[in-house]
Amino acid sequence: MAALAVPPARRLAVSATVVAAVVLFSHHLGGIAEGGRELALSALFGLAFGIFLQRSRFCFFCVSRDFIEQRDARGLLGIVAALAIGIVGYHLVFGAFLPVPTPGRLPPQAHIGPLSWVLAAGAFSFGIGMALSGSCISAHLYRLGEGSTASPFALLGALVGFALGFASWNDLYLSGIQQAPVVWLPHHFGYAGSVALQLVVLAIIAIGLWRWHRQPDAVAAKGGAWERRWPAYVGGLLVGFLGVLSYFRLGPLGVTAELGSIARTAASTTGWLPDRLEGLDTFSGCATVIKQTLWSDNGVFILSLVLGSLAAAVFAGDFKPRLPRLPEIGRALAGGVLMGWGAMVALGCTVGTMLSGIMAGAASGWVFGLFLFGGLWLGWQARRKLDWG
Amino acid sequence: MKLVKSLLLVGSLLLGTAHAAPGDFLVSTDWLEKNINDPKLRLIEVSVNPGQFERGHIQGAVNFTWHTDLVDPVKRDIVSQPNFEKLLRDAGVSNDSTVVLYGDTNNWFAAWGAWVFDTYGVKNVKLLDGGRKKWEAENRPLVAVAKVPAAGNVKVQPANKALRARLADVVAVAEKKSNVALVDIRSADEYSGKVFAPAGVQELAIRAGHVPGAVNVPWGQAVAADGTFKPVEELKKIYAAVGIDGSKPVITYCRIGERSSHTWFALKKLLGYDVRNYDGSWTEYGNAVGVPINNPAGTVWGGK
Repeated sequence: MAALAVPPARRLAVSATVVAAVVLFSHHLGGIAEGGRELALSALFGLAFGIFLQRSRFCFFCVSRDFIEQRDARGLLGIVAALAIGIVGYHLVFGAFLPVPTPGRLPPQAHIGPLSWVLAAGAFSFGIGMALSGSCISAHLYRLGEGSTASPFALLGALVGFALGFASWNDLYLSGIQQAPVVWLPHHFGYAGSVALQLVVLAIIAIGLWRWHRQPDAVAAKGGAWERRWPAYVGGLLVGFLGVLSYFRLGPLGVTAELGSIARTAASTTGWLPDRLEGLDTFSGCATVIKQTLWSDNGVFILSLVLGSLAAAVFAGDFKPRLPRLPEIGRALAGGVLMGWGAMVALGCTVGTMLSGIMAGAASGWVFGLFLFGGLWLGWQARRKLDWG
Repeated sequence: MKLVKSLLLVGSLLLGTAHAAPGDFLVSTDWLEKNINDPKLRLIEVSVNPGQFERGHIQGAVNFTWHTDLVDPVKRDIVSQPNFEKLLRDAGVSNDSTVVLYGDTNNWFAAWGAWVFDTYGVKNVKLLDGGRKKWEAENRPLVAVAKVPAAGNVKVQPANKALRARLADVVAVAEKKSNVALVDIRSADEYSGKVFAPAGVQELAIRAGHVPGAVNVPWGQAVAADGTFKPVEELKKIYAAVGIDGSKPVITYCRIGERSSHTWFALKKLLGYDVRNYDGSWTEYGNAVGVPINNPAGTVWGGK
């Protein structure tokens, strides 16, 4: 058995320095007159999220692939755990914010989107994109911290995809989104009914996954306890708690708002986008506004997420940059474009629309999840059949 | 004269406030915290930014959403009398309640709420001086748990049209057929026509500029750094400097009619002038056919 190895001093020092830098950054942000407190908190939440994602390998594509290829359901069960905690927590908070789920009122900022074919198409595209590029957007962000050299290309592709999404938005909005119903489960079942219904669905999914589960062959644990990944359910529970705390104080977790803002701002300045994006700013979701300030809550969150992941990766010896191969770059770029377009027209991604949406009792979260996994499966098949990396 | 002044001063001090009039319409953060458990007090938040109330509000407050609760969304009008009465009763307001309104962004929309309350003749309505901004800056407590109050029994009156200016009233001033002063509370660049509206806003007029004859006193000039209204004497000077001294009726306007309620409140409640709010404001006036505008910047239909 490996000794309870503490990482080498050099790794500890780098990791501690990165964490200290984020904490200092957060302290600095706290001094900004307008919204400083929120920015500071965003930085700390981002730091924690980055650490949780990296240490528990909370990557939607990776855990799905584990299941498809090896019938290893543990990662997907971690996501189920995150959703279960989040659903209970969100609904507890809703009861404080909106004592009665009155029709016509939605909880503030919760990611409850319109149910339309555009949502399904966006989720499907996102699923294919994450299979091609190897991760969803949140996982690419934490893999940046691990030194992944393909992830920058995927994120670059996502920016292009976002711009394409903005360019197609007005047509999609008028043909599919404007008239689409916004379904919030507590409106129909009450808070208790919404929690019960969703937990039952999650339980059915969990039982199904567990029946299919095949424990992979035991591999001798490498390194000390500090270096081993956290079990997926631990990551799931922590992500679920963080999601609730974040919703309570700032807003739902989401990782695409800042990317979308950058894409929208860049495309706007070139005059490439329509002057008006119909109805877009009236939706909650990973809404994407033209940038007016250097620091937004989501921008700070993303930056700290990457740094949190970097600190965790260095600490555990997972920081391993290597040069990407050309096909990898091509896949990352193409997958990124599909993900960016999908996330834009579906008003968010695996974290914003699916994770935060399902926690909030949004039917749109479930629909996103369903089509996401359809696209993911198709993308995985294509990748395998074409022997594409 | 000196004796009269001294007596007034002593009287004011005895009343615990420098001016009797503002005390009738403003409460301080201190006062509110001390009286927060008074069962007759009904606290209502009217904020612009979504999620403000839910994530933290002053204990016991009820949330009014200005763009659904306080307006008639179909008619571009203020909320109807029956709907307003129901809204207030659901918020626990009774005939003997003291209502205190507060909100974010310097009480812009709380002041709009005060104007709607006044229009429907609700008595004992006050603004929390400084609103959320001051309450938060003083680190006073907020709670996240919203309560549903027991229903109240308030009876509201038919809308008092004397508090509201319509397009025709403003056109009459522009055409010098009416001796009313106009106060435009928007930014200097909007007033001069350099911009049609501040960046990022959706509600636009096809033309830029201001109503002929209007003076420009941006709303922010009425507030101190901590978000409270400036003292009455100072307010008097600010408005008198542009000829608004209470000697003739006043109409206030802005872009969609909400921020102008803030200046309406200062002029009407704190200074006691005869003031109407023009809630059609520049989005109506600047889009109306056949009415004169003043546009020093020379912008024409967005195609300068």
